[in-house]
Amino acid sequence: MSNIRILIRKGGLMSKVNNKAEKGITRRDFLKTTGLAGAVAAAGSIGFPSVLRGAPAPEILIGHIHPLSGFLAFDGQEMKKAVMFGVKQINDAGGIKSLGGAQLKLLDGDSEGKPEKAISEVERLHRAGVVAITGCYQSAVAIVATQTCEKLQVPFVVGVASAEDITKRGFKYTFRVQPPSSVFADQGLKYITQIAQAAGEKVKTIAFLHENTQFGTTLADFTVEYAPKYGLEVPVRVPYSTRAADFSTEVGKIKAANADLIFDSGYFGDGVRVLRAMRSMRVKAKAIVGIANGAFSHPKFIEELGELTENVMDSNYQVNLVSPFAKETLANFKAAFNLDMSPSMVYGYQPVSVIADAIERAKSTDKEAIREALTKTDFSRHILPQGPIQFGQDGQNKNATTLLMQILNKKIEVVWPKEYATAKVVFPHP
Amino acid sequence: MNLNFVLQSLLNGLLIGGVYSLIAIGLTLIFGVMKVINFAHGAVMMLGMYCTYWLFVFLKVNPYLSILLVIPILFIIGAAFQNFLINPIIKAPEHNQLFLTLGVSLFLQNTAVFLWSPDYRVLKTHYANITYYIGDISISLSHLLAFGLAVLFAAILYMILTRTDLGRAIRAASEEPQGAMLMGINIKRIYWISFGIGSACAGVSGAAITTFFPIYPYVGDIFVLTAYVVVVLGGLGSVLGAFVGGLIIGVADSIGAMFLPGAMKSILSFIIFILILLFKPTGLFGR
Repeated sequence: MSNIRILIRKGGLMSKVNNKAEKGITRRDFLKTTGLAGAVAAAGSIGFPSVLRGAPAPEILIGHIHPLSGFLAFDGQEMKKAVMFGVKQINDAGGIKSLGGAQLKLLDGDSEGKPEKAISEVERLHRAGVVAITGCYQSAVAIVATQTCEKLQVPFVVGVASAEDITKRGFKYTFRVQPPSSVFADQGLKYITQIAQAAGEKVKTIAFLHENTQFGTTLADFTVEYAPKYGLEVPVRVPYSTRAADFSTEVGKIKAANADLIFDSGYFGDGVRVLRAMRSMRVKAKAIVGIANGAFSHPKFIEELGELTENVMDSNYQVNLVSPFAKETLANFKAAFNLDMSPSMVYGYQPVSVIADAIERAKSTDKEAIREALTKTDFSRHILPQGPIQFGQDGQNKNATTLLMQILNKKIEVVWPKEYATAKVVFPHP
Repeated sequence: MNLNFVLQSLLNGLLIGGVYSLIAIGLTLIFGVMKVINFAHGAVMMLGMYCTYWLFVFLKVNPYLSILLVIPILFIIGAAFQNFLINPIIKAPEHNQLFLTLGVSLFLQNTAVFLWSPDYRVLKTHYANITYYIGDISISLSHLLAFGLAVLFAAILYMILTRTDLGRAIRAASEEPQGAMLMGINIKRIYWISFGIGSACAGVSGAAITTFFPIYPYVGDIFVLTAYVVVVLGGLGSVLGAFVGGLIIGVADSIGAMFLPGAMKSILSFIIFILILLFKPTGLFGR
């Protein structure tokens, strides 16, 4: 920052402004100047001290892109904490050992929840010299961010973003840790059928309420597609816009459908309002099941709605609650931020260690070498309920899966499959 | 589609429509008097919600009782906004005023993000979960109270505007500012009073929905776009129009949601909006 200020004072930026005053400053001029300032700043912070002090641990820049402001700012700020925590964990454990204990340094990219903003943020991070980027929380943003990274040849390890397409475009620089939406839908259907069978209940119909961007729509599409595989059908699906002031008519449609099961996909703020409307309108079903729901297995959801949340289920990614390393990580996170690490945050956190592992093996900060190392990832020191993280040809974490959670006595419990379960499932809901 | 579902939807539409009405009344009052389109109205509403929230959290003030405090607080904020920011450029071209209010809106939102973080906050009261049932139709107490408060305040405001000297002065300033000035009305005073009242309306609507709506810095955006539609529908500057318009849009939205999927549900209210602009551009009650 001081470098930029010096530059301005010396007239680097100001003279340019003055010269162009009559024509106005073009965007290109602005970018050129700020880019230069950025480069000087980077040189100052990385290059200079190493000359002076022999060989202290150099810094390796990695970037993250999340909606830090705008309508998803709440979610984005949480994701930032998760990524920051991932970086801190690596640094506290001695940084990248194959590079002399180099420390990771995190640069923020703010998508504001808008895909078009993600492009300029990726370019900005690239200019700043990041060796890899993670993000994005929203599929629509991840689609364009990874595309830009492909062009710039920067490895992008997607933490949270569920759209199938992200790893279906033959990209070389895109990797994804979380399961894609097809897995959420498929596992959700599979688990609930198994649970119903075990309870001796017959289930047939599903009413699906979902938010209407790509996130919710894709999950509903896959559910409709896979349902017949499990002897289920989806006669009613109701999309809604998260920006609407009132969802009661949409919820009314779900109620009128009178289906055995209610599926719901949405984000946090709308999830709170949807469930409140469902309870107030006495919507009844054998189970209310979130599919990758942003609210239903979020600790704050219970905090906000209390007993209304009882018995709500969610097929979602989750931390491995039976792994000691995962428990330790959760506890440390809680100690650092006084905040429970939600599953989204778990997947926001995980890519950092995957990237660090790749840099470690690449023994280099060359982006191509890191990409090469990422393709050979076989990473077990993670906190996910799965085998080692390995990326397939398409860059997708092959072993990624979801679990079925249920809120019981105001606690989020894993109820299915049994090897990861922390409590006994309650089905059908009373 | 059964009858219960239709009745339930219409009822919910009407109740939320009352909230739209009160927000729109504030907006239309400001426009009517100063001819300023206030883009910061949603942000002001957000401030009202946070006022109620913090009063509840720190002083345990009942959210509905807190309205008595929210009104003066928001009135002062609105009056100051007018006095220090709008007044200096009241004669400037309209787009300047527009950008100014937009700037203030962004300023308020980002200040809220800075001060209170972008977290969703839910005001936890036992009201939120009280629901009455008539047959299979549910009426949530908090929605009902929000509607009641909106109607009450709209009525009070209407009385002030039609029955008091201040109200007459406001209407005079709105219809014929120069004439009003010649009659000895202090226009500048009327301007900040109107802006204060308008902002207080936004604050009250914000406070009234805190029991069932999450509070976060960008919450105003959800309501304020609808409020613009309501204002144009009712007739720019018409308080009665804004009230009726709010109810119409609320009901139209829920009818839309019954027949149309997702984001399409607003299509009906926007069709009404376009038709009004085409065939009766002064709005339902505008002159």
